[in-house]
Amino acid sequence: MISFEQVSFRYLDAAGPTLDQVSFQIAEGDLCLVIGATGSGKSTLLRAINGLVPHFSGGTLSGRVLVNGRSTAENRPRELADVVGFVGQDPLRGFVTDTVEDEIAYGMEQLGIAPAAMRQRVEETLDLLGIADLRRRPLTELSGGQQQRVAIAAVLAARPSVLVLDEPTSALDPTAAADVLGAITTLIHEVGLTVVLAEHRLERVLHAADSVLWLPGDGRVVAGEPATVLSASDLRPPLAGLAELLQWPETPLSVRQARRRVLAEGLLPSDPPRPIPPVRSAALTATDIGVRYGDVIAVASVALALHTGEVTTLLGRNGSGKSSLLWALQGALSHTGSVSVAGVDPSELSATAARRLVTLVPQTAADLLYLPSVGAECDRADADADAASGTTAALLTELGVALDPDRDPRDLSEGQRLALVLAIQLSAEPRVLLLDEPTRGLDYRAKAELAAIIARLADGGMAVLISTHDVEFAATVSERSLIMAEGEIIIEGSTAQVLTSSVAYAPQLAKVFAPAAVLTVTEAEQVLR
Amino acid sequence: MSSTTVQPLQTAHPARLSISLIVALVVGTVAFCWPLFLNPSSGLSPILAPLVFALVLPMLLAVVLTELSSGRMDVKTLAMLGVLAAVGTVLRPLSAGTAGFELVFFLLILAGRAYGAGFGFALGAITLFTSSLIVSGVGPWLPYQMLAAGFVGLFAGMLPKADGRVEVWLLAGYGMVSAFAYGWFMDFSFWPFAIGEGTQLSFDPAATPWQNLHHFVLFNLATSMGWNLGRAVTNALLILMLGTPLLRLLRRSARAVKLRPTAIPAPPPAE
Amino acid sequence: MAEERTQTLRSLHPLAWWGWAIGIAIAVNGTTNPLLLTAMALAMVIVVLLRRSDSPWARSVRAYLLLAAFVIAMRVFFQILIGAPSGTTVLFALPQVPLPEWAAGIRLGGPVTAEALTATVYEALRLAVLLLAIGAANALANPRQALRSVPAALYEASVAVVVALSVAPQLIESAQRVRRARRLRGDTARGLAAVGPIALSILSDAIDRSLSLAEGMEARGFARTAGRPITGTLTVMLVSVLVATMGGFLLLSTDAGWLAGALLVAGVVGVGVGLRHAGARLSVTRYRPQPWRSTETLVVASGVMIAIIVLAVGGLDPPALSSQANALLQPTAFQPSTDPLAWPQLTGPMLVVLALVVAPLPLTRPQHRQIPEASRRELRTRSPRPHAELVRR
Repeated sequence: MISFEQVSFRYLDAAGPTLDQVSFQIAEGDLCLVIGATGSGKSTLLRAINGLVPHFSGGTLSGRVLVNGRSTAENRPRELADVVGFVGQDPLRGFVTDTVEDEIAYGMEQLGIAPAAMRQRVEETLDLLGIADLRRRPLTELSGGQQQRVAIAAVLAARPSVLVLDEPTSALDPTAAADVLGAITTLIHEVGLTVVLAEHRLERVLHAADSVLWLPGDGRVVAGEPATVLSASDLRPPLAGLAELLQWPETPLSVRQARRRVLAEGLLPSDPPRPIPPVRSAALTATDIGVRYGDVIAVASVALALHTGEVTTLLGRNGSGKSSLLWALQGALSHTGSVSVAGVDPSELSATAARRLVTLVPQTAADLLYLPSVGAECDRADADADAASGTTAALLTELGVALDPDRDPRDLSEGQRLALVLAIQLSAEPRVLLLDEPTRGLDYRAKAELAAIIARLADGGMAVLISTHDVEFAATVSERSLIMAEGEIIIEGSTAQVLTSSVAYAPQLAKVFAPAAVLTVTEAEQVLR
Repeated sequence: MSSTTVQPLQTAHPARLSISLIVALVVGTVAFCWPLFLNPSSGLSPILAPLVFALVLPMLLAVVLTELSSGRMDVKTLAMLGVLAAVGTVLRPLSAGTAGFELVFFLLILAGRAYGAGFGFALGAITLFTSSLIVSGVGPWLPYQMLAAGFVGLFAGMLPKADGRVEVWLLAGYGMVSAFAYGWFMDFSFWPFAIGEGTQLSFDPAATPWQNLHHFVLFNLATSMGWNLGRAVTNALLILMLGTPLLRLLRRSARAVKLRPTAIPAPPPAE
Repeated sequence: MAEERTQTLRSLHPLAWWGWAIGIAIAVNGTTNPLLLTAMALAMVIVVLLRRSDSPWARSVRAYLLLAAFVIAMRVFFQILIGAPSGTTVLFALPQVPLPEWAAGIRLGGPVTAEALTATVYEALRLAVLLLAIGAANALANPRQALRSVPAALYEASVAVVVALSVAPQLIESAQRVRRARRLRGDTARGLAAVGPIALSILSDAIDRSLSLAEGMEARGFARTAGRPITGTLTVMLVSVLVATMGGFLLLSTDAGWLAGALLVAGVVGVGVGLRHAGARLSVTRYRPQPWRSTETLVVASGVMIAIIVLAVGGLDPPALSSQANALLQPTAFQPSTDPLAWPQLTGPMLVVLALVVAPLPLTRPQHRQIPEASRRELRTRSPRPHAELVRR
């Protein structure tokens, strides 16, 4: 279906090639998973399939990319629109029209399909993705998962035989992600589409993949069976970590496979030893916090305490009030009830004074950056925080991220940007750090680095509260966890208790080793060796 | 990057474009200056008169926009046009109602400068159109506004070459001049419409053009000076404050817009 | 679902609403009768209130009412301040202030007569109704649907407008997010100092968006069917525009009405043919094109009839008519005298005009809300982050 023959590609100003003499084939009807760290060229590879690379991106491509027998050298992406459907990361940014139906019809209008045929295909596509009830809705009012399904429907309406998706779930919560991935698997099984998919959170899709392309980052592409390629790769989803620890030759692709193997090998560990946490002083106490928007109650009477030196994670589905709670704790959102940090309520202070007590890194951290260079951002942060010149830059180095002060913050990777925002927010020397969804768009390495940074900050005596959907990250980073639903905290306790007590929030290893509360590979190592 | 290295975004064929823009200039002048040649014997009231050209101008705009876009405007330029028009659409209601504090024009000027005259014209016309839909500003004046704003963007793209601080001052100066020109032309063509008949400063079809012009100047000084001045000062201040970073941003993206594959070698011989 | 579809099918073609409104806008040039004008305004407001949809532009009629009121007030104000004297019924007198020679001998203040004031109000009312007609079309016609009906030659421009309309709300949201976020940084600059950074971040966000949008459009086949531009049409269209302009010029500056009209029509036809021809290079199709049916024709016809009745009857020369015709048509009632003052009257032809203004009511059906109330409420809970409630500090 898709074949790359000796393909090399270099961006215009790039020092080296992004793809270097790459050859592989993807068979018809396959789900092919593209994996690799951020910046390894996943997006480039995907865009080369329909010719966006090089026709749209500029640069030099050599070799031959054939899709369904058509070469991308002779055909521009628009001419391949009825062969390859391409869906990007943030669907909202690619929408041309404003309602679901019009968006689905848009591609067909471009292809000049007759109105009657178009009408029929729109109906079919709406049903195929189960979005018929959304047909007249404005696109901006849809949830992230619905938007992504509309984006898929919009490219499918042109009836391509290949669907290319570039990290379609990176901006979604787990429920919405499952929703989208479910729709994709349906398409493979029922329509016979060939799907090429890039995804950071491998644990979500690995079990459905037929083949894997791994981009080590040096321009090579390693292609093959999922289990083999994954064992060779440097990416470590929890199951791969387990396989490495137990020296299994092949990586299990699903919890089921891993559990069978564990049972077959008779590995039945006991709970890992957990040190009884030291008694800690409260850094922030909140009582009876409530937030409402008109008639909608986002947070209903929440009481919580954060302790110095302790990392707490806040879990819960989208719309359960996590973000509202964080903004209220920082004092930036009007709320009922009271917060006390060192005897003061941050909502009664000025913005400058409040951030010396509690600081918040919001979900889209990049919103905090607006100056043309990293250096300018750091200087501005020093001035805003009345800190000695160089404080923020030093913090940034301390966080383990060395950035050239002349770089434009917009060109940084997601992880680097997060580190920069963190450094800016920490320059005010707050006692409490709140992080809203910090792991969005981070790859495994960046997540591990972030976990290390958070651990260091907590060791230094800071109280940290992280709202996240990523249970694996929560398991790695936190001692205590809270789960929110409908504006209330419904479970609170040690991370091990909270995560193992619910199916929805159990990390993969906890499922493999149930009933033992083994959350991470590190813990598995403790109990198995 | 110096300003001189950036070529305008591709819109239309230069020669054809300049012919249509010259026609636009001629037709626009006639349309805006109708009070100078309205003759009482024509039997048209000063209310109906601007409507005549409010029907001719959309045809002109249609022709020029067709020429600007037909087949030559690539998809990145078009998306840029749409998105910058969205920015203008957001800025316009922010500023409506506050005397002369209009945020649309400085964007038109900077975009016209960074992306060229043709782009500037299209952006001006389209921004005024979409923002009028949002702020309920559709009326017989809309075609006039679209044309006038188009010219603001167009001439911004035709200013002489300059660099650095000089360029910003040049654009700020142009911002003031164009603010007054825009205001005067719009006010002049809708002056009879606005004040009506029967006052001493009214438009009088029977009077000489010179008398009418005199009356208009007085009327305009008394009623619109504040708005025009406000618009001019806003333009100049915003360009002086934001000109450098915004131009840098626009030019940086102009490079991304113009990226083309440098070479796609022939496929290797099949074995 | 079937129910929903019938309703959309019954929404009138946007250009039909514009035809109706333009008919009214042209008609007001033929009358200064305040009773007729006020009644037409009321009739239009009723049509708008009963037939508008729940889209944002449907609310615009309020803005146009305010504008109309403002126009009347401004004209009365100028009439009182610098009005030229006419009539004899002095209502009150303001102290006179003569201005210097360079100001064309204008004097401020002076006596204000009932005749002059009435004439001004009549004139202003006419303009107010014209604005209201445009406002009504604006509120009733869905501009997005209208954009689907533009000539194919303007396809790219219409896409730019569609993009602008869809992206604008997203940009507002992103600006609000940035403002909120910047307060977290302890950066509380307001006014002009805050405009800079926010404008920069909106613009850079917008530019990023434009690239992802362009990528999406390209990947989905945008302009795939576009052929080479057809040469020669430009010349035809430019000449036609010049011809039409010449027609407009002659219409205004001479009494050669027929020649001017012919030139205008020739120009319109030339541009129309040119646009059609230029659009042939593109073979995009339209999803669910808005059909033009007899209802649309009837609505436009009612607009045309309004214009014809007012202009034709109002333009009749009473002495040339038989006394019966005069009694029936009463052409003078369309231009009631203000000097001497006389009560305006509503005549038979005017009642016909009013009936035609409300004619779209029996021809069309109310536009229902496209989203049922229940799911609207659900939506509200799903996007729970209005930004007004942030602590201001």
